[in-house]
Amino acid sequence: MIPLNWYLALSAIIFSIGLYGFISQKNGIRILMCVELMLNAANINLVAFSSYNDDMSGQVFALFSIALAACEAAIGFAIMMSVYRMRDSINLDELNLLRW
Amino acid sequence: MAYENLAFLIPLLPALAFVITFFVGKKTPYGGGLIPIFAIAASFLISLLITIGLLQNPDQVISQSYHWFAIFNLGILIDPLAAVMLTMVTFVSLLIHIYSVGYMSHDPAKPRYFAETSLFTASMLSLILSDNILQLFISWELVGLCSYLLIGFWYQKPSAASAAKKAFLTTRIGDVMFLAGIIVLFADLFKLVNGIIPEGVYLLRFDEIFSFIPEIAAMNATILGFEVSHLTIITLLFFGGAVGKSGQFPLHVWLPDAMEGPTTVSALIHAATMVTAGVYLVARTFPMFIAAPQSLIIVAYVGAFTALFAATMGIVMNDLKRVLAYSTISQLGYMMLGLGMGAVIGAEAVGVSIFHLVSHAFFKALLFLCAGSVIHAVGTHDMRELGGVAKVMPITAATMVAASLALAGFGIPGTSIGSTGFFSKDPIIENAYLFGEHAGNWFPYIFAIVAALLTSLYIFRLLFMTFAGKPRTNYGGHESPASMTVPLSILGILALVFGAIVVEPFNKFVNSTFVNNFVNMDIPALAEVGNYELVHHAGQEPLLILWMPVIVAVIGLLIAFVIYYQKAIDMSRFVSKDNSVYKLLYNRYYQNEIFTQLFAVKFVYEGLAMAGYHIDRFIDGIVNVISYLIIEAGDSFRKVQTGVIQHYSVAVITGVSLLVILIKLVMEVF
Repeated sequence: MIPLNWYLALSAIIFSIGLYGFISQKNGIRILMCVELMLNAANINLVAFSSYNDDMSGQVFALFSIALAACEAAIGFAIMMSVYRMRDSINLDELNLLRW
Repeated sequence: MAYENLAFLIPLLPALAFVITFFVGKKTPYGGGLIPIFAIAASFLISLLITIGLLQNPDQVISQSYHWFAIFNLGILIDPLAAVMLTMVTFVSLLIHIYSVGYMSHDPAKPRYFAETSLFTASMLSLILSDNILQLFISWELVGLCSYLLIGFWYQKPSAASAAKKAFLTTRIGDVMFLAGIIVLFADLFKLVNGIIPEGVYLLRFDEIFSFIPEIAAMNATILGFEVSHLTIITLLFFGGAVGKSGQFPLHVWLPDAMEGPTTVSALIHAATMVTAGVYLVARTFPMFIAAPQSLIIVAYVGAFTALFAATMGIVMNDLKRVLAYSTISQLGYMMLGLGMGAVIGAEAVGVSIFHLVSHAFFKALLFLCAGSVIHAVGTHDMRELGGVAKVMPITAATMVAASLALAGFGIPGTSIGSTGFFSKDPIIENAYLFGEHAGNWFPYIFAIVAALLTSLYIFRLLFMTFAGKPRTNYGGHESPASMTVPLSILGILALVFGAIVVEPFNKFVNSTFVNNFVNMDIPALAEVGNYELVHHAGQEPLLILWMPVIVAVIGLLIAFVIYYQKAIDMSRFVSKDNSVYKLLYNRYYQNEIFTQLFAVKFVYEGLAMAGYHIDRFIDGIVNVISYLIIEAGDSFRKVQTGVIQHYSVAVITGVSLLVILIKLVMEVF
């Protein structure tokens, strides 16, 4: 059986990639994708702990999390669509109307 | 005795009369004059009964005290001093009210007049029978308010309105000092009882205050490097209040201007109410004054100086009422001098001074009412336009002569022949002599004797210019109605014979003020506290000294006779704008100008404007700096809020990571 640490390491790597992308990217879609990466890294953790502890609630939780991520992605991409229609760009740095 | 329980009615009846007259005065007879007259007559009767009762038994003073709030009380104290004052005030006020019915008969605002005068009387009566200093102060302020209302009675006239304001503001200076004195006194008393006040003990009652005199005198404060007793500070502050109220130098400036009101009001202010309040205050707190080093001497000096200072101005005034106003200031100076002579003769000074107060009330009320009678009939109060009034108004002229004799103090020393003023003023001058002999300081005596000469001069100048000779203008005129001449006659008789009859028992009566069932003051012991050496008044001055006041009065009369009746000396050389002495006197030593220019304009007005400008700039500056800092800080700190989501997430992640590391470290340590 694959040890738990491997799952956790995989999860941490994916989370870090997502985090790096979230911080460094300017393209809205990339940022949303990075958010998905971080969410799924967390899901791996949930499932891994669930399976190692013989407790199904972690997997149920992961299902909820996936549903939530789907909603978030749907709304996020819809916003990106309308932003693109208005500004011809989805560069988040340019969306500074409410800034000082 | 039952009437003792009626004591509270003495101030209450005139106060009720004020309420009734004020609201429904128009519907009552004589424009509201009748109700105050009856109320004050009733007060007079009660006061008289109480005084007679006290005369039989001077030790049993009436003292009633009612809880008011917290540690303060309202109370009635009628000792001999208060009793004679009550009787005098109600009596003079009654006569003035009767006289006013005639004098004010043409005035449309009669109800307001009678309402205000009865309130004036009520507050003065309440002031007199206060048994604690707080109640006295409240009445004191009420008296000030009424004087303001009455001086400005004809408020349509700008001069009357400004005179009222002047009177109010000038006396206010004194009032503030009085209040400061009360506060210092209360603070000291509170300290002396260690902040523990038993139920039913009211610290500001006179008996309580007096019982702490030695302790307060022992408390010292250092002011400008001088060791000053707290008692001296308190008494001088009280005296400051008296200076304002009783028109002593330098706060006398309001009194001559107070002539803007009706003449009856002037009579009321100068004789019965208001100005006597200051003298009464000093007399009431006399045990404090005698135990305070220097205070009585200062009272004596201020009094003596005021007596002379005002008299010099009295001799050049051309306005009938103004001469009388300066005369009042001068006579008040005598009263203060009389009280100050307590430094040498002890408590007897109170009797002497209060007797002068009462006799002055009679003849000064008479003088004013005579002047009012002349003004009422003739319509002018410039003496240069009058002359020969005696032919038109014989009763007024006769009573005026009686009052003038009393003011100048004619009489024969060593006998009981003499006008009231003789019996009241001479003892003061003699005491001043005694003071000079004893303390080696002759200023009070010299001032008093010169002032007596000038007094005689200015009053006979007034008499000759107004009543003798031929009319200088065609003024017509007629004798006044009976409601005016009857009070004049009563006061005229009193001015002539009152002194001779009552002087001995009066002094004995008032001198018993400080030894009775209410307070029991050992005046000689207190004088030792205050470093005063008392001598016994033996009445054995040289004959010349006894005659001196009368001699100077006769000299004054002769000078006035020669100059103003026979016109043997041409005065036009002196009475001109070129004569600097005349100019100085006529312009009242430029004191008004100095006060206006120096204090009002330069100091208060411009000073305040300057101060206000700088304070404004200072406070504005502070506010501006604060707001500038906040705006700048906001401008720089809001840069932190970039609006870029990545920056926030970096901050969050850094924070969370640091927190995790920190928790990990902490867990390892413990």
